[in-house]
Amino acid sequence: MRWILSFLLLGLLAVVQAASASGNKLLVVIEELAEKSKYSKYLGDLEARGFKLTYESPKSDKVALFELGERAYDHLLILPPKSKGLGPQLTPKILLDFINAGGNILLTLSSSHPTPSALVSLLLELDIHLPSDRTGLVVDHFNYDTISAAEKHDVVLVPRPDALRSDVKNFFAGDGKDVIAFPKGVGQTLGNTSPLLTPILRAPRTAYSYNPKEEVEGVDDPFAVGQQLSLVTAMQARNSARFTVIGASEMLENAWFDAKVKPSAGLTGAASDKAAKTANQAFAKEVTGWTFNEIGVLKVGKIEHHLDEGETEPVINPKIYRVKNDVKYFIELSEYQWDKWVPFQPAEGDNVQLEFSMLSPFHRLPLTLSSTTPTSTIWTTSFKIPDQHGIFNFKVNHKRPLLSNIEEKNTVTVRHFAHDEWPRSWAITGAWPWMAGIAVTVAGWVGFVALWLWSKPVPLKLTNSGKKVV
Amino acid sequence: MAETVADPFFKGNTGRNTRGILRLSILVLIAAAAIASRLFSVIRFESIIHEFDPWFNFRATKYLVSNGFYDFWDWFDDRTWHPLGRVTGGTLYPGLMVTSGAIYHALRALTIPVDIRNICVLLAPGFSGLTAFATYLFTNEMSTSPSAGLLAAAFMGIAPGYISRSVAGSYDNEAIAIFLLVFTFYLWIKAVKLGSAMWGALCALFYGYMVSAWGGYVFITNLIPLHVFVLVCMGRFSPRLYVSYCTWYALGTLASMQIPFVGFLPIRSSEHMSALGVFGLLQLVGFVEFVRSGVPSKQFGTLLRGFVLLVFGISFGGLVLLTVSGVIAPWTGRFYSLWDTGYAKIHIPIIASVSEHQPTAWPAYFFDLNLLIWLFPAGVYLCFQKLADEQVFVVVYSILASYFSGVMVRLMLTLTPIVCVAAALAVSSLLDTYLLLKSPEYPGDSATEAGSNGTPAPSKKAAKQDGLRSMRQPLVGIYTTFSKMSVVSALTSYLLIFVLHCTWVTSNAYSSPSVVLASRMPDGSQHIIDDYREAYQWLRQNTAEDAKIMSWWDYGYQIGGMADRPTLVDNNTWNNTHIATVGKAMSSREEVSYPIMRQHEVDYVLVVFGGLLGYSGDDINKFLWMVRIAEGIWPDEVKERDFFTDRGEYRVDEGATETMKNSLMYKMSYYNYCTLFPPGQCQDRVRGVKLPDVGPTLNTVEEAFTSENWIIRIFKVKDLDNAGRDLASAASFERGNKKKKTIKKRGPKVLRVE
Amino acid sequence: MHFLKGLLLSLLPAAALAAKKPVVDKFSQFHTKALASTPLKLDDSVYAKLTAAPRNYSVVVLLTAMEARFGCALCREFQPEWDLLSSSWTKGDKKGDSRLVFGTLDFVDGKNTFQSLGLQTAPVLLFFQPTVGPHAIPDNGPIRYDFTSGPQSAEQVHSWIARYLPDRPHPQVNRPINWVRGIAITTTILATITFLSVAWPYMVPIIQNRNVWAAISLIAILLFTTGHMFNHIRKVPYVTGDGRGGVSYFAGGFSNQNGLETQILAAIYGLLSFATISLALKVPRITDPKTQQVAVIVWSGVIFVMYSFLLSVFRMKNGGYPFWLPPFF
Repeated sequence: MRWILSFLLLGLLAVVQAASASGNKLLVVIEELAEKSKYSKYLGDLEARGFKLTYESPKSDKVALFELGERAYDHLLILPPKSKGLGPQLTPKILLDFINAGGNILLTLSSSHPTPSALVSLLLELDIHLPSDRTGLVVDHFNYDTISAAEKHDVVLVPRPDALRSDVKNFFAGDGKDVIAFPKGVGQTLGNTSPLLTPILRAPRTAYSYNPKEEVEGVDDPFAVGQQLSLVTAMQARNSARFTVIGASEMLENAWFDAKVKPSAGLTGAASDKAAKTANQAFAKEVTGWTFNEIGVLKVGKIEHHLDEGETEPVINPKIYRVKNDVKYFIELSEYQWDKWVPFQPAEGDNVQLEFSMLSPFHRLPLTLSSTTPTSTIWTTSFKIPDQHGIFNFKVNHKRPLLSNIEEKNTVTVRHFAHDEWPRSWAITGAWPWMAGIAVTVAGWVGFVALWLWSKPVPLKLTNSGKKVV
Repeated sequence: MAETVADPFFKGNTGRNTRGILRLSILVLIAAAAIASRLFSVIRFESIIHEFDPWFNFRATKYLVSNGFYDFWDWFDDRTWHPLGRVTGGTLYPGLMVTSGAIYHALRALTIPVDIRNICVLLAPGFSGLTAFATYLFTNEMSTSPSAGLLAAAFMGIAPGYISRSVAGSYDNEAIAIFLLVFTFYLWIKAVKLGSAMWGALCALFYGYMVSAWGGYVFITNLIPLHVFVLVCMGRFSPRLYVSYCTWYALGTLASMQIPFVGFLPIRSSEHMSALGVFGLLQLVGFVEFVRSGVPSKQFGTLLRGFVLLVFGISFGGLVLLTVSGVIAPWTGRFYSLWDTGYAKIHIPIIASVSEHQPTAWPAYFFDLNLLIWLFPAGVYLCFQKLADEQVFVVVYSILASYFSGVMVRLMLTLTPIVCVAAALAVSSLLDTYLLLKSPEYPGDSATEAGSNGTPAPSKKAAKQDGLRSMRQPLVGIYTTFSKMSVVSALTSYLLIFVLHCTWVTSNAYSSPSVVLASRMPDGSQHIIDDYREAYQWLRQNTAEDAKIMSWWDYGYQIGGMADRPTLVDNNTWNNTHIATVGKAMSSREEVSYPIMRQHEVDYVLVVFGGLLGYSGDDINKFLWMVRIAEGIWPDEVKERDFFTDRGEYRVDEGATETMKNSLMYKMSYYNYCTLFPPGQCQDRVRGVKLPDVGPTLNTVEEAFTSENWIIRIFKVKDLDNAGRDLASAASFERGNKKKKTIKKRGPKVLRVE
Repeated sequence: MHFLKGLLLSLLPAAALAAKKPVVDKFSQFHTKALASTPLKLDDSVYAKLTAAPRNYSVVVLLTAMEARFGCALCREFQPEWDLLSSSWTKGDKKGDSRLVFGTLDFVDGKNTFQSLGLQTAPVLLFFQPTVGPHAIPDNGPIRYDFTSGPQSAEQVHSWIARYLPDRPHPQVNRPINWVRGIAITTTILATITFLSVAWPYMVPIIQNRNVWAAISLIAILLFTTGHMFNHIRKVPYVTGDGRGGVSYFAGGFSNQNGLETQILAAIYGLLSFATISLALKVPRITDPKTQQVAVIVWSGVIFVMYSFLLSVFRMKNGGYPFWLPPFF
């Protein structure tokens, strides 16, 4: 178990090294630095968590996500620019390449000024849709903050989100009863084809999004309503690069971090009269942390498979097996939590599965927890290789919302029986008659030859007619 | 005077020795000539393995040499037929590899350091020398004339029909199989003549070797029983026949069953049933003869004959019944297509698609065995002179082989030896007649009358019964020197032409290693086109060790041998479904092909495209076979009809059908092709058509490599899009056109669950 | 309340029935007709009625042209197979579970249909899926079966139809045993046996005659070595016309040949080998020197000329073949 030790060391390293599991170079795109003060608390939190912040204006040419073809930053935070467009360095293509290169992006929108077209088309590529006219306001006449938005009802108060599904971890639960203020935000709708999208924070049932520009009494055919309206959306690419859209940048402003809010009368009509502090700071931390790989990051440690036929010292990870071998498989998983690697435990009702597949899975087995180290859990299973030769894969394909993807493929060859691996003929009772036959034939032949050799030839004498007489 | 001086050399023991030495030296010279005439390719190009199958044999040989025999026997090859793999050790004829392996180790033992490749390259010529020798022995069994054997050996040494499969570098089973074929037949004739169990056993031994070397052993398996059967029908049953055949059959069958690939076929498949049946028949006849010799009675004899016929009929019926009920496997496709010639075309496109399974037109015969082809019937006719057992063999062999070679081009190989033998018989009889120095003395008048008015004497009445018409008169001889001179000189000139022809054919037709193409420059100088090796080298150097290459099966062996990369399908076409899968991927739209390629973990796709160079053997010309084979498995997903225009043409220009234009093969072949040409002049030099200027676009694969003359194009299969888009839209985004914002359509909008 | 619901429930199927009624009748009546004689002989009107939507059954219609003046060989070849298929199908499923009707529309009865479908060729097989009912499929356009690959057997068409009728009975095609043929075969066999037994003594000399066998084997060899099997498999034309109305005996191209060509070649080979045989066997047996001299000259002359001709023919087939003999260049 040396490797576990080494793993421990690695874990420690992770602790001392940085906040995020993947680097800490963070680029903050903000239009004018004056605005920094508005977000000072939030940015302070980030710096406190060990991120190295760099500030750039979206317009400037200096802002380069790549240098010499390599990612220049690990993370990117885009605060909503006032101007309509982003600079030439932040085209959707470049941003997408940034994601493909494994960089994380936290994008904030705001209804106070229209979203740049570059961002809109980027979001469109990711199957996230914004209101058509690039400015939409989410209002809710039942869950608004009576203090700040008594009139406009555009500060939506949302309770902490609950888990997406019963079998998915919830990183944003907080302690459950405090509320999040979502001021002057833009709601998004998610295409229902892409499995990579996850709504982190959904609007309340009674919320809807409309365009404040057009002055009409009552909105017919709003952009989206209720639960379909996602306020904070997470997208995790196949390479586990993370991209989060926060509908309302004001959420992150100091003003709303420690603002007091008073929920309006809900559907049930019971208004709570005491003002409460918003959970924005905590929620922002969680969302940012998730986006910048501080939580929900999985890591595969050691993968091991070997024969399970009672050897004392089996060969580890052989390249070739034989059909009908019994094999054992181990995989070590650990999860990153804020600043350290901890043993990974799947959510309730979920489990890690192993596929043994050629073209299609021949086995699909749930892995069981075999042991736990300080930084990781080791999962295992053992099974019999099917009676089919070919090139097989041990495949662990663990893809869950909000957890980084695990796709591990170990190829092995499964060969047929060698000529000397079959049972010998005398071990097969069915073969005995034939062997007896062979024996008899041999004996008979020998006997015949003996007889032949020992019998004296009769001298044959011919009569004058040439007939042979014995 | 001189004659008396020369006398001692040509008479008595000295004479025999002299002739022996002469004969030996002649044979050695013939062997040398046979080897030398096969070295064109090495001299002109280099010491390289030729076209397709040899590359697999070469690879297998290397495996054998490096891993030893048992590993070779149990070899599971995980670098072909991905992801199924191939039980190679059990599905090949090991004779060739084992032979060259043995030679290799022998030379090593003699401390001669030699590269295994050179052994493989030069194996075929070496064995051709042995074949000449075997032919010599075989022919000597046929004729008394001493010259026949030497002539046959010479013919066999340089006959293009045999050279076509045995030039240096064509390292294929036939290389040694033909030698084994002839030698087995020689041993068989020997055994029949002497009726000795030893020769029969030797014959069986070499038969076993033949089985281990070539699938064509079935030819022997059926020819020898046929020979025996004919002899029995001619009433020529004899203890000699009985002993030799039974020895051969028993031992030979056991020997053949030792080859894993053959296994229990000799008792389970129809190809081998004739041998078994004749074996049974011989037992019957032998028994009957035995009884008859004991009980000499006419009626009893007829009774016995009836009994024989009855039992034979019954057993035959039994065989048929077993075949129908499936206990005995019916004809295998390849073999079946020899009888029912239309069979393969309908049922097994994969066999019909191979060029060497096509029927033979007459020019091929003349091309491969120039004047032998018309000396051949004469020789066969001569065999009817004294129709002993061995001559019967020649006749049977000739007819059977002529039929087979007519049905399949590649079986010309089995015809060539007998043609050489027969022709040699004819030529030798001519020479023996016309090279005699001493003329018969001028006949007197009485003899003249007797000869001229030619009233057949009563003694010839008997001869009328059997014996050939042309041989009723007694042999006289040639009178005038002039006639001798004329005939002999003519014959010599023909033979010289034959030698020239063979050399010409060999150097022009059969000496190019289809891996390297040679073309003539306008100024007549030779220009080497080496795209294949260029591309395979690229694969070897620029792709991952286990990158799976998808290509049509023709190139599987070469990729395995030269590029050393796993392939999906190769020339060992054991799994029709897998080949059909590749065919489907090639002939379907990208959206259909991509999942298939993902499922089979394909990393690169390799296509052969001759459009630029006018290289006609490219994939677009083979395309219809891919479609047909795929259609055989997915009749309602791939339809051959869709690749033909309404007027029934197979087109690749603007007129091509949509299915054709959208097929992956078409797209990959013509991708970016027109950028080579000025607009409006983009044309395909094989099909000889003008192509539309806007070439096809590819979304799921991207061009990785294109060889110098565009013969080989390699495409990389893209990974799934990182952002979860489908590859078409991802590609269009890459091309820079923005995704249109989905206009909110009327009607209920699809809500996102969860 | 409950009463109402009950009422509704009781009414619903009735309503459904009412809705279905006409089509049900249509199928049943066609099916009864089919039971009487299948495939149904259609004309324009019946065809229109049969294939009119809505239909809750499948229809297979063979559009053919049987009359001799159309000279549609394929139609006539396929007709018996078609009858066999439809009859055995209809017999196999008397209750009409597969809800399939076979119909035949001859061109003479259905010119308008042919025109409306824009059919130039016959036969064509049209398959109509049901538009209503359990097996209904959205696109009700007929599926077309072209006889591109020659005449089809009943089994092939059966499998094609079965592919479009999943989870429905597919009555197998059962061919009637051809008694006549069997009887004929047996009689011929018996006849031959008797003939042999009678004529045996007279045939023995022929069978045992060496010359006969020699001739047979030589002819066989000559045929095969001149590519007769090629003609047989590739079905090459006997002769092809050259552009100018004449016939060209030799097809161009190395791997191509005419029927006549092979026979000419066989003749050449035969002559050559016969000359060789005579030189080898006959000539030395001629007792008269002059005759022999003449024979030698004649035969070797024949060989020379023939061989040179053969070479010239081969040069014709394979351009760039360098060798030749006079007199033919």
